Amino acid sequence: MKKLSPDRQASSLRNGRILILVSLLLIVLLFCLPLFETTTAVYTKKSPNTFVGDEKYQTVKAEVEAAVADYREFGDVELGESVTLRDKSDGTQSSMVTFTASTRSHLNGWKLVLSGLPSGTVLSLLFIFAVLAAGLSFIPRKGAQACAVAFGILALILVPAFSMTFTRFFTRTIGTVLSGARQADITGELALADKLLYGGQGGDRISALLSGMSFSSTPWLWLLLIPAFGLICGTVMVQNIELSSALSRGFLYAFVIALCVLILYPYYVMFITAVRTPAETNDMHFLHMLPVNWMWGNFGDIVRRNVLTYLGNSLLLSIGATVISLLCGIPAAYAMARMKFRGRRAFLGFVIMSQMFSPVVLLVGISRLMIGLKLNDSVLGLMLINAAFNQAFAIWLLRGTFVSISSEMEQAACIDGCSVVGALIRVLLPMAAPGIVTTLIFVFINSWNEYTISTVLISTPARKPITVGITQFSSFNMIEWHYLFASALLATIPVVILFMFIEKHLVSGLTSGGVKG
Amino acid sequence: MNEILVRKKWVPYLWLLPSIILMSVFVVFPIMIVFKLAFSEISRAGVVGGFIGFDNFVAAFNDKAFGTVMLNTLVWVVSVVGLSTLFGFIVAMALNTEFFGRKVARSIVVFPWATSLVIQASVWNYIIKYEYGNLNNVLLNLGILKNAVNWRLTYQIEFAWECGVGIFVTIPFVTFCVLSGLQSIDAAYYEAATVDGAGFWKKLRHITLPLVRPSLTVSTVLNIIYVFNSFPIVYTITKGAPANKTDTMVTLLYMRAFYDQQKGPATAMSVIGFVILCIAAGAYMMLSMRKEDEL
Amino acid sequence: MKKLFALLLALMMALSCAAFAAAEDEITLDVIICQYGPNTENWFLGTGMDGTNFVAKFEAENPGIKLNLDVVSWNDVYQEVSTRIENKRFPDILNIDVFADYAAEGLLMPVSEYCPEELYKDFFPQFIEQSVMDGTVWAVPDLASARALYYNVDMLKEAGVEKAPETWAELEDACQAILDYYGGEIYPWGVDMTTDEGQAAFAYYAWGNNGGFVDEEGNWTVNSDANVESVKFSVGLVNKGFTNPNPATQTRYDLQDMFAAGKIAMMIAPNQLPTIVKNSGNEINFATADIPHNEGAGSASVGIMDRIMAFKKDGLTEEENAKRNEAIGKFLTFFYRPENYVGWVSMEDFLPAVNSAVAALVQANPSFEAWLNVLANAKFYPTAKPEWNSVKQGVINVEQNALIGGDVKALLDELQASLTK
Repeated sequence: MKKLSPDRQASSLRNGRILILVSLLLIVLLFCLPLFETTTAVYTKKSPNTFVGDEKYQTVKAEVEAAVADYREFGDVELGESVTLRDKSDGTQSSMVTFTASTRSHLNGWKLVLSGLPSGTVLSLLFIFAVLAAGLSFIPRKGAQACAVAFGILALILVPAFSMTFTRFFTRTIGTVLSGARQADITGELALADKLLYGGQGGDRISALLSGMSFSSTPWLWLLLIPAFGLICGTVMVQNIELSSALSRGFLYAFVIALCVLILYPYYVMFITAVRTPAETNDMHFLHMLPVNWMWGNFGDIVRRNVLTYLGNSLLLSIGATVISLLCGIPAAYAMARMKFRGRRAFLGFVIMSQMFSPVVLLVGISRLMIGLKLNDSVLGLMLINAAFNQAFAIWLLRGTFVSISSEMEQAACIDGCSVVGALIRVLLPMAAPGIVTTLIFVFINSWNEYTISTVLISTPARKPITVGITQFSSFNMIEWHYLFASALLATIPVVILFMFIEKHLVSGLTSGGVKG
Repeated sequence: MNEILVRKKWVPYLWLLPSIILMSVFVVFPIMIVFKLAFSEISRAGVVGGFIGFDNFVAAFNDKAFGTVMLNTLVWVVSVVGLSTLFGFIVAMALNTEFFGRKVARSIVVFPWATSLVIQASVWNYIIKYEYGNLNNVLLNLGILKNAVNWRLTYQIEFAWECGVGIFVTIPFVTFCVLSGLQSIDAAYYEAATVDGAGFWKKLRHITLPLVRPSLTVSTVLNIIYVFNSFPIVYTITKGAPANKTDTMVTLLYMRAFYDQQKGPATAMSVIGFVILCIAAGAYMMLSMRKEDEL
Repeated sequence: MKKLFALLLALMMALSCAAFAAAEDEITLDVIICQYGPNTENWFLGTGMDGTNFVAKFEAENPGIKLNLDVVSWNDVYQEVSTRIENKRFPDILNIDVFADYAAEGLLMPVSEYCPEELYKDFFPQFIEQSVMDGTVWAVPDLASARALYYNVDMLKEAGVEKAPETWAELEDACQAILDYYGGEIYPWGVDMTTDEGQAAFAYYAWGNNGGFVDEEGNWTVNSDANVESVKFSVGLVNKGFTNPNPATQTRYDLQDMFAAGKIAMMIAPNQLPTIVKNSGNEINFATADIPHNEGAGSASVGIMDRIMAFKKDGLTEEENAKRNEAIGKFLTFFYRPENYVGWVSMEDFLPAVNSAVAALVQANPSFEAWLNVLANAKFYPTAKPEWNSVKQGVINVEQNALIGGDVKALLDELQASLTK
């Protein structure tokens, strides 16, 4: 990150401090405003077979108004009514009137901080972090100032976290128990909610009241994000770092973290589903984010159902296909890049055209060919097919890599007595490492994931690759999600390991990139 | 200038030979069978009869779902290829800068690619289920949602999800193609540009884009082909329901061939798809290759 | 590099030799079996048959006959069979749901050519009838299942519905009551109009309205007034909000899971549902009843049946052919022998197709008998007609179009026209 020039340092320091103080003041101010609003239907009466204005309607309405009087102590009570009309199958019409009485409460920041709710704790933390960020930024030590930035970021993150814990407390912790979906002792939580929302007046009625409670956040809550962001900017400015470069760095990290979370999300789903019991995989009440009983035995079960054999076959198949594909592709790409001959364009066109049919369509031909070559039901047949299907990418990408590398070194090697093949192997290939590695990963992964052709070509269970092997978990009457995802996870691991080993060559390609020019 | 001299005219062809043999036997032969089948009568059960001219093609064009499906295919290919190229490029740019944890981030980005499409589609199908899907579970338990949301309310939304999954699984491919291109760019270019006072956008337009173009051409042309021919995502998530409204050409022809017993028209459809791809990929290639040659 | 090529070539030859070294005097039967459940493959090829498996046991008992048996998932089986037929590489024995296409094109052998007399007599006659085309029996049933209405007793009671609905009107009232009481939290009625099995939804309502796929002479009548009314009724249930929200993509698996978890109050499901509920680990109080029908029509149970068939093989001498037929007969005899067959049928809770298995199955599970009675009066899909596959996809298409607002009458007319063309 870039440092500021000395002449701008002083003004940056001053502006930063002002920004920090203003932000802190704003946070204190916003805490005084309502961050959440709740509406509680304190009394509901459904009156069936009632038409608006008739005798029954009048009686019930009087009844409702009398009952509501009890709830005046909670504050203002609003009365409302709605009518449901419907035609019955015997041709008559029925009408139902629903009376509701509701009361509102506004929850400001300080009230929540003192409430003892988990969300209140989060809100106090937010405030403490903001104060810490402001305080530390005034200490002229590098470490303290870096901590100030970190606390500022934490305070920013705690704004949505506060909203989430608030929602979670009322809909999950209390809501699921009240609706009967979950059993737990929540007397403590109920008392806290009562104190916060109804001033402790709810008493025995608290369960009924909370069942009819709905809430929403106010714009003031989300306005908190602005001073929190201001705080971060201020803590950066007092360190004499150029704000734009610090922020772009921040955005880069935020982007990469968000990206990784998104990408890993399906794998998180696979993982937690893989260690669940079948009943929990279809949990219609969304009670648990993590498994209640961790069923590590599921992995043992799938191993007993031959998943390791399938993985072995896939590994053999993919390695074979990759080797064949590179052995055929490198010479072809070399010729395309380094030699002049008629039909270069035509060959490239031919290569691309060969990719243009979906494997599903080619099944009949492939199957006939394999029977003819007596390669039916063999892993070798699959290797050759996959190698052939990936030729286009291999040749094309390798050609691009070779073209971008100057031939001077090879020519020098040839003068030194190396054959063309020798020059290719000793000089060109090491320099083309990034391209070769990309090709290798590509072919390996594509072969690893191939499914359609394998289903038709392979019939012996012991020769099935993993993609075909896991179809056993989705059968006529059910899908065994936990086994399916456990196997899928196992199938992902070898590719990721391969990639981790090879990734450093991708990077080393970067440094060797300087050789050519 | 970058070429080496070969004395005998047949030498280059010798270098191409292994590749040509491999592809001719295992790809071109099956393709020829497809062409033969497209012009043959195929019974409901699949028995191949004699030559019947263009009857299968006529039947394919008269398929009442053909119009809808062509439009879907267009939306599918353009959105998946276009957006995954855009996002893939951005991700590659991010991963090409030095930062703490870059190695880990790179390994994570390869994940969606390391899992087969059938599985990816199954996972996402499970995630977006209304009644017990994981998206609702996570969002409810974190307190982001108050009530479960039906993430697949209409078929348009379901199709959008399918495109989304398509983009998700295609990004790693584009990212690594672009990354391999980015890494062969000499850092000296950027240093010179910085000295000249060029900003981020200027460097992007005048250095990065032109030099990455060959990699982008490869990834875009191949992506057009792969995405056009990809079928597990749509097949797993909606199977084209309701009434072919979410089908793409490949899933339609799969259903026609194996469930509706119309193998002749289905094969003809695949040839039509081939012609469309030839035109689309060919045109793109011509355009970008010409620019590449000018470079 | 040369060495690598040589190595590769050697590897290739070794592998291909190993794969295709079969003894001459043996007869090998190519068998394709569909995967019914998680145990199918293990039973045929693993250790699911008391530590051994079907193939090993069969081969030990019948020296000279080898089985090349492939268990294929239902998702892939049509593709696999079709590819084989296009390459004229017919399986010897095939287990699948349909047979008419294959029979109509002369690919199958009549059952009488290979099925031993004694075994033939053992099949339920009403099942055998379903595999007759042009007066010849082309396939034998391997198992069956039947469908009925399942309802969550507690939920109906809670919502004030006294008894399971018998007629469509009662069904709608019950749905409304449940919807009102639970306020949409629970779906009153489960509907599956997916591309997988939408034809079942068509059959439930059409047969309950005196409609159906064919008339008494076996001519297609998909656009009859009764059918139009029944499709409109079923789609009406969806539009009134009585059902699961996405009937075009929510398969029977989803519905069964939801029923087991108490998210759906009523649905039509196969006889396996109790096992599915049990395996799901949920405890719900449920019961069965007849499938609801329209006023003035009778309730019709829906039966589903799969089959085993044998393909012809060209280029065999008479002697070889006789030997092959005998081997196929031995396979069938072995398969249907009670000690083997009972295990197979009960493994995934199916209903048997042969008399000799009934006694043992009823002993193991008394509820079987009730189901066998249901099955005896069940209607089956017209699978003996070669157009069946197109009709099946056609009615699914009609339902899905109707769901997004299509005109049912016009859609069914169009389907009918394409059939009589």
